[in-house]
Amino acid sequence: MPEQFIAPSIDWFALSPYLVMVAGALGLLVVGALTPRWPRGLYSLVSALTATSAGVLAVFIWNDVAEMGPGTLVGGALSHDAFAQFVTIAVCAATALVALVTDAEVRGTVLEGPEIHALLLTAATGAMVMGASNDLIVLFLGLETLSLALYVLAASERTAAGQEAGMKYFILGGLASAVFLYGIALLYGGARSTNLGEIVARFQSTVALERNDSLVLAGLALLIVGLGFKVAAAPFHVWSPDVYQGAPTHVTAFMASVGKAAAFAAMLRVLVIALPFHRDDWRPVIWVLAIASLVIGSTLAVVQTDVKRMLAFSSVSHAGFLLVGVEAAGHRAGEQISGDGLESVLVYLALYSVLVVGTFSIVAVVSRHAGGSTDISVFAGLGRRRPVLALALTILLLAQAGVPLTSGFVAKWGVIQSAVAERSYAIAIIAMVSAVIAAFLYLRIMVSAWLADPSEVEPEPVPAMTGVAIALAAAVTLVVGVYPELLLGWTDAVSNFAR
Amino acid sequence: MHGAVDFPLLSMLVLVPAIGSLLVALSPRRRPEYAKLIATVTSVGVGAMSVWMLRAFDSHSGGFQFVSRHPWIESWGISWHLGVDGISLFLVVLTGVLFPLAIVGIDPHNDDPRRDKPYFAWLLLLEAGVMGSFVSLDLFLFFVCFEIVLVPMYFLIGGWGYEGRVGAATKFFLYTMLGSAFMLVSILATVFIASANGLGRITFDLVELAEGASFAASTGRWLFFGFAIAFAVKVPVFPLHTWLPDAHTQAPTAGSVVLAGVMLKLGTYGFLRFGLYLFPEAARWSRPLWLTLAVIGIIYGAIAATMQGDLKRLVAYSSVAHLGFIVLGTFAFTSQAITGSVMQMVNHGVSTGALFLMVGMIYERRHTRQIADLRGLQHVAPVFAAAFTVVMLSSIGVPGLNGFVGEYLILIGSFLTARWWVVVAATGVILAALYLLWAYQRVFHGEPDEENRSFPELRWKEGLVLLPFIGIIVFTGIYPKPMLERIEPAVHDLIEHVSDRTGYVEPQPAAISIDDEHGEGE
Amino acid sequence: MEPTTTSYLVLAALLFGIGATGLMIRRNPLVMFMCIELMLNAVNLTFVALATRFSDIDGQTAVFFVMVVAAAEVVVGLGIIISIMRRRPGATVDDLAELKG
Repeated sequence: MPEQFIAPSIDWFALSPYLVMVAGALGLLVVGALTPRWPRGLYSLVSALTATSAGVLAVFIWNDVAEMGPGTLVGGALSHDAFAQFVTIAVCAATALVALVTDAEVRGTVLEGPEIHALLLTAATGAMVMGASNDLIVLFLGLETLSLALYVLAASERTAAGQEAGMKYFILGGLASAVFLYGIALLYGGARSTNLGEIVARFQSTVALERNDSLVLAGLALLIVGLGFKVAAAPFHVWSPDVYQGAPTHVTAFMASVGKAAAFAAMLRVLVIALPFHRDDWRPVIWVLAIASLVIGSTLAVVQTDVKRMLAFSSVSHAGFLLVGVEAAGHRAGEQISGDGLESVLVYLALYSVLVVGTFSIVAVVSRHAGGSTDISVFAGLGRRRPVLALALTILLLAQAGVPLTSGFVAKWGVIQSAVAERSYAIAIIAMVSAVIAAFLYLRIMVSAWLADPSEVEPEPVPAMTGVAIALAAAVTLVVGVYPELLLGWTDAVSNFAR
Repeated sequence: MHGAVDFPLLSMLVLVPAIGSLLVALSPRRRPEYAKLIATVTSVGVGAMSVWMLRAFDSHSGGFQFVSRHPWIESWGISWHLGVDGISLFLVVLTGVLFPLAIVGIDPHNDDPRRDKPYFAWLLLLEAGVMGSFVSLDLFLFFVCFEIVLVPMYFLIGGWGYEGRVGAATKFFLYTMLGSAFMLVSILATVFIASANGLGRITFDLVELAEGASFAASTGRWLFFGFAIAFAVKVPVFPLHTWLPDAHTQAPTAGSVVLAGVMLKLGTYGFLRFGLYLFPEAARWSRPLWLTLAVIGIIYGAIAATMQGDLKRLVAYSSVAHLGFIVLGTFAFTSQAITGSVMQMVNHGVSTGALFLMVGMIYERRHTRQIADLRGLQHVAPVFAAAFTVVMLSSIGVPGLNGFVGEYLILIGSFLTARWWVVVAATGVILAALYLLWAYQRVFHGEPDEENRSFPELRWKEGLVLLPFIGIIVFTGIYPKPMLERIEPAVHDLIEHVSDRTGYVEPQPAAISIDDEHGEGE
Repeated sequence: MEPTTTSYLVLAALLFGIGATGLMIRRNPLVMFMCIELMLNAVNLTFVALATRFSDIDGQTAVFFVMVVAAAEVVVGLGIIISIMRRRPGATVDDLAELKG
């Protein structure tokens, strides 16, 4: 008997951030194609404004969620909770910053135009959907929207290195997506649904013996491998140094911020929210991944000579820190009092996104002046040429190292705090020690910037919009570092309102 | 709290240098003289406030005074909680006094006057961090300050130091950060375990934790060691000392003065304030280890100092020995020894600070620190030599000068509880006389050769900078009572706290009391 | 013998494995790309088999989404591969070694 098709009711306001982003992307493409070249910087401004307004809308939606409690949208496809809004806000902030930086990077090349901004906005929409998805298939769609746009962005520069980066990213990203998707399929076989809420309900109501646990476990393993690739956790990080180095710097900034934030949001959705009943199965795996990422990321970062490669490995080590938080969240996933793990990961993601965009923006400014080279030697004497820029770099690098009074310290403190609260002392100590090893790397860049003799005397030009993005990133880093309550008072709500 | 002090004195001590640092950083680049002016005014102001605090301090109370407490990061149970007691009082004053001297009296020797600006900004930030570490009563706040001092010090060594500065600065930064890594985990674990065992809530407040929480013996020991590693690196205790000679030697003179004067005290102070106070049982239990390391440090530091050809390295190794005494006194667990330790922290700050200052002056004149290159300076610069003699004798611990009082108290106080360690440590006193006098003899005695004949005499400005140092050295040497009576009550409370917690009974010496034993000094 | 759900799942797993192995051992970007497509289609087979077993529509709709995504991937992937091939005809992934550290 054919069932009556009932269209799901749609709360348009709750979807407005996505709609704004997609409209911005399409608008840029269509209007951009129909009109003559816009005045310089306008494309960037429009896309930054689009992202900002989507972020502001998410704040209003957050208020709604706080008043009415969490729910789902579009027939259970997306969740309507504080978690989703938080990811949206973080992604939008990072996207806006990247959009500002992009302008100077593509100026005067064939890439100047609306396309690259449309791609950025599309990718960001994918990332937002990943953070909000309440269904594994929707999650996959978000992931692919993000990834496909990122493949193109990574290969957008017509240099040998850029194309190679795009190619490697595409092949390994495709592999990761396929593995991830296979994981979804097997999990579907075990849980009879791809909807996160239904998966939880199913495992809650059935006794372990009645479940098809082998399919679930196999699916879980594949999901972790797929997500491990996407977050660049060791040993699945092998693509990241090449891609980070070869991709245009503004795209690298986007990958390291939005790409990582979305992948971790997806990981939290899948592991902590959908599979709390298998937490004892996935937690040890995360433990191993975390330690591998921390150790490999920080030790290999130290021996690099290219700044973008260094930052790629440092980003692996940051992924390790985030996994420490995921591991902590795994101790009491699904319980009434679920600890601070989830919240600490989200705070880390938001703060790290801003940090890393700021850092890569400075790398972009310096390397552009040095003819595209990102070797550490091009930073020599930056303190003499551009003291303010060097100071901003110092603040951002100290934050990455986790020195107090910067946002990086707040982020690390939160993660370690949640790990210690769950008595994961070993992982907390390993994380802190590897942070010290990684600090050596940031010191090397700072030494080069302040203490090495300048290889170049001409100060590099700092484009206005890039300058604004760097200043914003540094300001956020310091303000949150000195008075973290600004952010924390607000994020306390996240775990309460996550479904 | 003493009197009705509404003025947030301690917050000002921390915030004023921080704001000053910001102002220096924002001052116009083309007018480097503004930077020095702002730095001078700020640091002198802070110094004046700290001296005023010394006057207003209630010497009969062992508790925390000038307490200021405000919520800071409420979601994490962290507050802006400051206070001083007799243990931290003199360290705060020392910090307040040392920084203006370093800022006013020591030239940064910049090739480019525009580099004065960052130099002063870093120095003031360093002052804020050190002050914050000494007055904070919140574990988070303490950690923040303890860790933040690395950054300005790193840049001071790396930016204004000598030949091997980058390596020394990096070594210093990583060593100390590694220690702090353990402390961070330990702080968090302390807070969570305390909240689960008796306290019932998450708080980083030192007093609440120390008074309200109790730890199982083995837990407490682990936690204590997390803290202890950080402090032991900072002190530095014997096997972890290798960063110190490099950092000291390569640092600019002001950096060395501050490093020796107050920064090393962060470690010894940390042991007293956080080690003994929070984990009395673990501190008691691990006593033999620390006493042994302290004594090794004393002997090793002395022997290594004897063998140095570089004056600055010699002074650096002598610091290792002196700090060994302080650690010895700390872990002797008697009122006298701990009082002596606190006093010795200040004494070492003054005398070693002055030594580094004078070695800096020698380097500035002769562009060498090698003992072999210097000879007969007494003939050409008698006043300089006289000042050096006073400072050196204070460092050796000659009666009548400040070093004697502290060292004597440590040795006699420790004798009751750590007899054999004291016997070995006492030989360190003799060694100290040996290496310093020998060095003095080689540098100042004899006939000056061609190069040393033109060694300029002490200038007025240099004399004025040295005067406060020598004043303190002589005053505390002759009349230590005002200092001791302010330290005593706090130390007494600490020992009582340890006794309450561990059932430890402090052995009472037969007929020695504070007033008698300083008869010879007066 | 009537094929059961399990046989479909095993077949899909084999196809997925072949795709993954091909991706590892082949060096021609185009072939590697085909291997990814093979893997995606193996997943599709899994979805269809399971959906039939559960008589559930969700699994079947998932397949449509995957097909759309795969098509989009072809567009992007071929674009990147062709632009590289144009620059360096006959290149294998081993020739792409500009980036290493």
